[in-house]
Amino acid sequence: MTHLHPGYRTGTRPLRVAEVRALTDHVRQVVLECPDQTPLTPHEPGAHLVLRTAGWDGAVKQNAYSLTGDGVLPTRYTISVLRKDPDHGGTGGSAWVHDLRPGELVEVTGPRSAFAPRHDQRHAFLLAGGIGVTPVLSHLRALARWGGTAEVLYSYRPGHAAHLEDLRELATRPGLTLLEATTVADTRHLLTQRLADQPLGTHAYACGPPALLEAYVEAGRAAGWPEERLHLERFTAPGLDPGSPFTALLGDGRRVEVPAGTSLLTSLLEAGVAVPNLCRQGVCGECVVPVRARAGDIEHRDLVLTQAERDAGATMAACVSRGTRSDSVIEVAL
Amino acid sequence: MTVTSTRPPASGAHPETATRPVLHGHTARLPWPFPDDLDAFRYSVNVEPARVPRRTAAGEWGAHIVDLGGEEYGAIMADRRRILDADPCRVRIMPGMLPACWDLLLYYLRDLAASYPHVLELDEDGDRFHWRNHALGTDQRFVLGDAGSLPCDPMTFLGREIPDDLLLVKERDGALCFDAGLVTFAAAWSVSFDVGMTMAEIHNPVPRLTHEGITSRAEQFLRRLPADQVYRRVNWTFSASGSRRLDVSLEELPDWGTDIPALVRDRDWGRLQLRIEVEHFVRLPMTGAVTFNIRTHMTSLEQVRRVPAWRDQLARVVLELPEDLAAYKGFLDYREPAMAWLLAGEGAA
Repeated sequence: MTHLHPGYRTGTRPLRVAEVRALTDHVRQVVLECPDQTPLTPHEPGAHLVLRTAGWDGAVKQNAYSLTGDGVLPTRYTISVLRKDPDHGGTGGSAWVHDLRPGELVEVTGPRSAFAPRHDQRHAFLLAGGIGVTPVLSHLRALARWGGTAEVLYSYRPGHAAHLEDLRELATRPGLTLLEATTVADTRHLLTQRLADQPLGTHAYACGPPALLEAYVEAGRAAGWPEERLHLERFTAPGLDPGSPFTALLGDGRRVEVPAGTSLLTSLLEAGVAVPNLCRQGVCGECVVPVRARAGDIEHRDLVLTQAERDAGATMAACVSRGTRSDSVIEVAL
Repeated sequence: MTVTSTRPPASGAHPETATRPVLHGHTARLPWPFPDDLDAFRYSVNVEPARVPRRTAAGEWGAHIVDLGGEEYGAIMADRRRILDADPCRVRIMPGMLPACWDLLLYYLRDLAASYPHVLELDEDGDRFHWRNHALGTDQRFVLGDAGSLPCDPMTFLGREIPDDLLLVKERDGALCFDAGLVTFAAAWSVSFDVGMTMAEIHNPVPRLTHEGITSRAEQFLRRLPADQVYRRVNWTFSASGSRRLDVSLEELPDWGTDIPALVRDRDWGRLQLRIEVEHFVRLPMTGAVTFNIRTHMTSLEQVRRVPAWRDQLARVVLELPEDLAAYKGFLDYREPAMAWLLAGEGAA
């Protein structure tokens, strides 16, 4: 049986849009509340909510958006959504969210935690790039609530900085400081400088575009940070080449030929194999499937499995990882 | 959503119980640790969904996450509070774990109020709460996260209201760590010694557990514990004391260390205590901490002997147990005479 108190629901359910507000030309804040006014489920800082949206073509999509609150006894969930147009790779989900109006019902799942702070951190270094500010704001609000200390570096384009005033207000509190960078050069310079000068016991967290995260990891390594202390959340996975065709062998004996440019996940779903999936970008880990293959026959392209799990060769993320060569055969135990 | 609580049917109302001997309330509520058909015990990841009532040969248990203990509630809580007052080191909270303790307190008070609505009440208004425990006389208002609004830390507050030992685990550098605990009824271990250790470090002394991969599977289970399900597990041993004493912690070793040698010397087998621990696993949503809370029950061989199905099964399981496990559980040296006594007692109740 699940929880007795209604304030612990995380299954798929409708929430009502209470408020919609434009934060910048391209970012809209959507406030959601429970239609029956029961308390919402608390969440860890950096958690996200999955919204059932629709793409340009009308197809149902699942979009994950970071919650910007501190997660302690929320009465409302707040997300900030950047509208992504088709020429920037947008598929319609964010535009669908932008069209929401107060009073409408949205189907949500979660909150889910995938970017939580380390409970025993002595200090936090938070890096936000563009709309990556959303989970960073959640972390900072939780730090303000529980009395932690942090330094935030917010890299943004002037005029496009969602939540800048929220961060500035939080940074007036003792122990919380904010650095702002508006050019790539400034961001790199501050990143290098600040990562080299954090107190012992600091954990670092970053959310932003791929180039920023690469610079962050590079600067962190150069400054001697252990990998376990450099946390990051990607909201866009690196672009992937179409890869080679390969063969999947299903549990019921069927052979499925996966063409180049088509993912194992798509092929499995088309073959009628139910595979849970969410981000389809190798980030969330939802579609990791049990497999068996010869050594070297799997090209892992996800950001979820550890090196040890890849070496074991018993699992792969079906959405991005694939057979290495055209004669690769991957047995999928489903 | 309506908040409902499942209540076990009143014993006696059930046709099967009508023919059974009238048993002490404690025995009727006992979470007998073995499935009916079990003849040989080995450690396993024996987890199951919580809040599912389970019938036993003597009654029923398991409808709620917390078993207050019926008529024994007051006595258990007096014992718990006495120990906490005398030895503050039974509560250990590692740095950064206070939010998880608030998370724990809130989850449990909400669950308790829904499970025992006639005895326990929780009023909520945003982050303000009003808790009343009519059995113990507690009446406390507090603000979640405001340390000054409670007379003690939130874990201690909860520990003074319910009989369970409270343990929280959280992930650090890829390992699950026992980072906060309130433990007054430990079975020959010490919270002060174990706090901060990884699950693997804590369970290393248990034979077969780590080598057979059970620790890592249990750890995987806890790591993947879904947010929307609560699980439980039952564990058992013989107590290191020949009385119903719950506190057989290492802190109190001088008080109980000679109990069993004396009992064995006197061949006073009826006083041996079967110790049953029910563990509950909840993923707390605000912090991601997972509970490993332990409620300890005790029953003497004298009591077990009165329930023929239990008597026969316990003797079978104990005598079958391989030597390393019997040694770890502490009864390798005396299990044969003790079980002979148990079985010879047929009809002696």
